[in-house]
Amino acid sequence: MAVDAVFAALADPTRRRMVETLAGGTTVTASGLAAELPITRQAVAKHLAALRRARLVSTKRVGRETRYSLDAEPLGDAARWIATVGAEWDDRLADLGRLLEGRSG
Amino acid sequence: MNDQRREVERETVLDAPAEEVWEALTDERLLGEWLADEAELEPEPGGRASFRFADGTEKEGTVLRVEEERELAFTWARPGEPETEVELTLVPLVSGTRLVVVERIPAAGPTALAASAWGPRLSALGRALSLVFA
Repeated sequence: MAVDAVFAALADPTRRRMVETLAGGTTVTASGLAAELPITRQAVAKHLAALRRARLVSTKRVGRETRYSLDAEPLGDAARWIATVGAEWDDRLADLGRLLEGRSG
Repeated sequence: MNDQRREVERETVLDAPAEEVWEALTDERLLGEWLADEAELEPEPGGRASFRFADGTEKEGTVLRVEEERELAFTWARPGEPETEVELTLVPLVSGTRLVVVERIPAAGPTALAASAWGPRLSALGRALSLVFA
């Protein structure tokens, strides 16, 4: 389930920082990300791999560089799950409230 | 890390005593008035939970916990979809009853994340990504 992979990938605060950086709409290199975060390039590479597995990040070769950018689609899945399930319960609880009002007079 | 799961939480105060709310949560006919169109529920751990909705879809699951007038928890899923857990908790008030609903995707591993920690982050990202997220 896509939403599962997304939540797992975003459970890590460093990866959330990386996603926020990428959410600015820029494509960056791994070194570019490492320069912005207090972690090693190796750690950046590891986190980028996790984000790629969750398909939150896609890569593009530009010359000799690999550039990373945010892919919003899986994030949309997570947001949709929360929004849909939340809206369903809002409806049900409104019905329950009406039902109980009717019963107690 | 069991509490670090992604979930949706809703809370409402109902103008009825816990006893009546509990009945609405466990009586099949009453469940059919608000939770689904038709409901079958065996209110005991391991009992069957089956719901049919107005759109014709169905959810099947298993009752996990039953504590009279306090808590009802069950799993449910549409055929072929992953199961989620639903937890309904009652808190008696001086007047009425508070009902807390939590629906969560069971954690896949220790790195799973609570929606509570995720919510503000998600809306910030949503804005950044121009996602519609209320």
